[in-house]
Amino acid sequence: MEWRHKDLISLEGWTREELHFFLEQADYMDELMNRPIKKVPALRGKMVVNCFFENSTRTRVSFELAEKMLSADVVNWSASGSSTSKGETLRDTVWTLEAMGADAVVVRHGAVGVPDYLSKKLHRASVFNAGDGTNGHPTQALLDLHSARKKLGDLDGAKMAMIGDVLHSRVARSDIQAFRKMGVSVTLSGPATLMPEDTASLGVEYVSDAREAARGADILYFLRIQRERQEDGLIPSIDEYHRRWGATDSLVALASPKAAVMHPGPMNRGVEIASSVADGPNSVILGQVRSGVAVRMALLYLCLGGAR
Amino acid sequence: MVKAQSGQLWTEKATVMTEGDMERVLRRIAVEIVERNKGLDDVVLLGIQRRGVHLAARLREIFKAEEKVKVPAGELDITLYRDDISTLADQPVVHSTSLPGDITGKRVVLVDDVLFTGRTIRAALDAITDLGRPERVQLAVLVDRGHRELPIAADYVGKTIPTSRSENVEVRVKELDGTDGVVICERNGGAGHGVEA
Amino acid sequence: MTILLKNAKIFDGRSLGGECEDILVKDGVIARRGSGLPEDGAEVYDLGGKLVCPGFIDLHVHFRDPGYEWREDTESGARAAAAGGYSTVVTMPNTEPAVDNPVTVEYLLARGKRAGGARVLPSGCVSKGRQGKQLAELGLMAESGAVLFTDDGSPVWDAKLLKTALLYSKDLDVRIMEHPEEPSLTAKAHVNEGVVSASSGLKGWPASAEVIDIQRGIALSRETDAPIHFTHVSTELGVDAVRQAKKEGLPVTCDVTPHHLSLDENCILVSRFSSTYKVNPPLRTRKDVKALWEAIADGTADAIVTDHAPYHMDEKDVPFQEAPCGIASIECSVAVVLDTWLKLGEPVALEHLLSLFTSGPAALLPRPWRALGAIKEGAAADITVLDLDAMKRVDVNEWKSKARLCPWDGEMLQGWPVMTLVEGNVRMNRLEDGE
Repeated sequence: MEWRHKDLISLEGWTREELHFFLEQADYMDELMNRPIKKVPALRGKMVVNCFFENSTRTRVSFELAEKMLSADVVNWSASGSSTSKGETLRDTVWTLEAMGADAVVVRHGAVGVPDYLSKKLHRASVFNAGDGTNGHPTQALLDLHSARKKLGDLDGAKMAMIGDVLHSRVARSDIQAFRKMGVSVTLSGPATLMPEDTASLGVEYVSDAREAARGADILYFLRIQRERQEDGLIPSIDEYHRRWGATDSLVALASPKAAVMHPGPMNRGVEIASSVADGPNSVILGQVRSGVAVRMALLYLCLGGAR
Repeated sequence: MVKAQSGQLWTEKATVMTEGDMERVLRRIAVEIVERNKGLDDVVLLGIQRRGVHLAARLREIFKAEEKVKVPAGELDITLYRDDISTLADQPVVHSTSLPGDITGKRVVLVDDVLFTGRTIRAALDAITDLGRPERVQLAVLVDRGHRELPIAADYVGKTIPTSRSENVEVRVKELDGTDGVVICERNGGAGHGVEA
Repeated sequence: MTILLKNAKIFDGRSLGGECEDILVKDGVIARRGSGLPEDGAEVYDLGGKLVCPGFIDLHVHFRDPGYEWREDTESGARAAAAGGYSTVVTMPNTEPAVDNPVTVEYLLARGKRAGGARVLPSGCVSKGRQGKQLAELGLMAESGAVLFTDDGSPVWDAKLLKTALLYSKDLDVRIMEHPEEPSLTAKAHVNEGVVSASSGLKGWPASAEVIDIQRGIALSRETDAPIHFTHVSTELGVDAVRQAKKEGLPVTCDVTPHHLSLDENCILVSRFSSTYKVNPPLRTRKDVKALWEAIADGTADAIVTDHAPYHMDEKDVPFQEAPCGIASIECSVAVVLDTWLKLGEPVALEHLLSLFTSGPAALLPRPWRALGAIKEGAAADITVLDLDAMKRVDVNEWKSKARLCPWDGEMLQGWPVMTLVEGNVRMNRLEDGE
């Protein structure tokens, strides 16, 4: 297969075949982490700039590991607050990146549309979306696919219940896109106040009862619930949330016995997920972290190595 | 017969090894390996993806049958060590690498189908260095087609075939191509390079 | 100076003439209309059958003067308007300081006169400083020449203040223009509540936010018997409400914008979040676009306005979520409407469409200006000449406006204004271009 993507802004343009091919390549990258020397020279001489405008240790470190294992040169650029802190506009940042000769920019930003904006303005560099506002987090979706596939094999026809604050979640949006492309049917559950207004346009169903969503599901995906939602008046209390939609042993028991329990991290133990579930036999949460590095390596290698 | 490969059209020109030839050649190489290493102690076969892996498996079978020794065999993918990634027309696809245990202190015999510019072997040596520290590394190839670009030589050669740059040497194995054999192909018009080895 | 426009099809504000006629302009007024008029030392323009209309009137533009002149000022704005085929514009008062007193009104009138572009008529704020708390000096502003009162940018969110303003302005013959938005429903919203907000998580602006304010204004208009005008109505619900009010015989009017007549929320997704499509009110659904054209067809909409909202590139060329709302398009707006009208298969009669640029808006102005919007012997020679066959590509680099970001940049549009006259002065002439 000829890899035709230079950037990853959203998985919208990826075909199912491309996803399959990608996940296989990620499998081989996974193997690299078993070697004594976890480094290959594939991206030697390429410069990758990690532009994180939003704080994130986990995602940044995951990308950094992937970049370094491929021998790329890594520059970490974090600007806290908005892109206009210290008066530097994003347009100025673009010119700086271009002048630096960056081959790739990994960007996380609180505003929707920033990776699109950068990819339109940067002529040379590849742009990888590490999270733009509430819109998307495509590498999370890829690692979730990789991780789910590792446990369940072929995902075609599987059922997924995604439970939690979907409205504010970029992970949810990207995962819905990605899993649907692989043939998975997705049902959302959670408080109606934390759901997007038009779930039908996303190709998913919504049921308010978590039990109904979990019944027979092959994948149970739990989203973080932030305490601010209680302050915003969108849910009455954290305790009520946990009782009605939290990942408890009894909820997980309703799913298929081999079901994968997933969470994008970091977890609020006792809020959206009970410790017994997080550490339980169905949980692939730790695997998700490992998949994260493998998947990001595959992404960097395919988009930066090879013919362009 | 016209066939599409690497996006170009190749026409088969001549057969340089039949199925029978290939079997005889592999047996001869197996004997040479035993002679050169004075036995098969600490010998590890490492097949280079993709066809080298199957050739290594054949050698392993021969050792089992003739010498009654089970020689460990592994697979090595060198895609991530290539130095010519950005010049290839095709996206180089990564395949599996799996070693039959630690290779430190062992006598590794790299097995590949065609030796051409030598760059694949250079990449393989780099990969091996990252995977362990063998006592020695030897190279066995089915075909040497000349046009070396690096100072690399094979220890065991099945057949030396002089070729021109516009030709391509294709090794076929039953496991992947349905038949065994080696053919020479000619490029049909168009620019571009053949598959390098 | 004397100008003779020969061989034109004439739209006089109400109806389109069948035969080609001539118009003689002398001393700033329309001296004669007829066939085969003598040339007699006049500057002659042979229009070859093009459309002569009363000078187009735009009731809603933002020239950012005073206070934000890096985005636009009265000069660049007035010239941009003339380049876009407009002979009169009404400027919005959300400036710094806001236009809430007679002195600023007079300043703008004077600057407008010097600009050498379209006629600039200022509007004044309803409330002091546009704070929405206290009534501004409506009477004094009216005397100084303000032609509309509006807190545009914001609704007059205090119902009591709006009612007071409606009552107070009744006898001033200056209409109140309400920006219909319910702020508690639109806080932090960036797009229409619909497919874009669902797929991106950007907070959505529900249609209810528009119609709630319209219903409120209609109720107050009913009680006070004072006219109220709703600007940039963008939803099916919104135009329905105005339609019902008109059926009831209430003095309720509204306008629509070229972007809401041609674009929809999908542009945001297709363009991958280009900030050129971010506007208040947001681009809506295809269904809403259809409803706006129906509102034009059945007379619910009284005018088309541009809501020309210029920004500096540094402010507007930023990621979507961070960008300010506003489309600056006065130099191609007329072409956008005509081109869309042609592409939709001419859903309304041409005459009716043209009235929304001319007699429609003129009727909403104070008496001294109501004669604008008609071609009549003795009337001010404000004229817009249209070439419905002209095909031209929008090029922002040619613009007189300071704005450089526009949804139609680079697009080929059909149907352009090719000449603008203001009181008999030629402010724009592209008759020689193309062809």
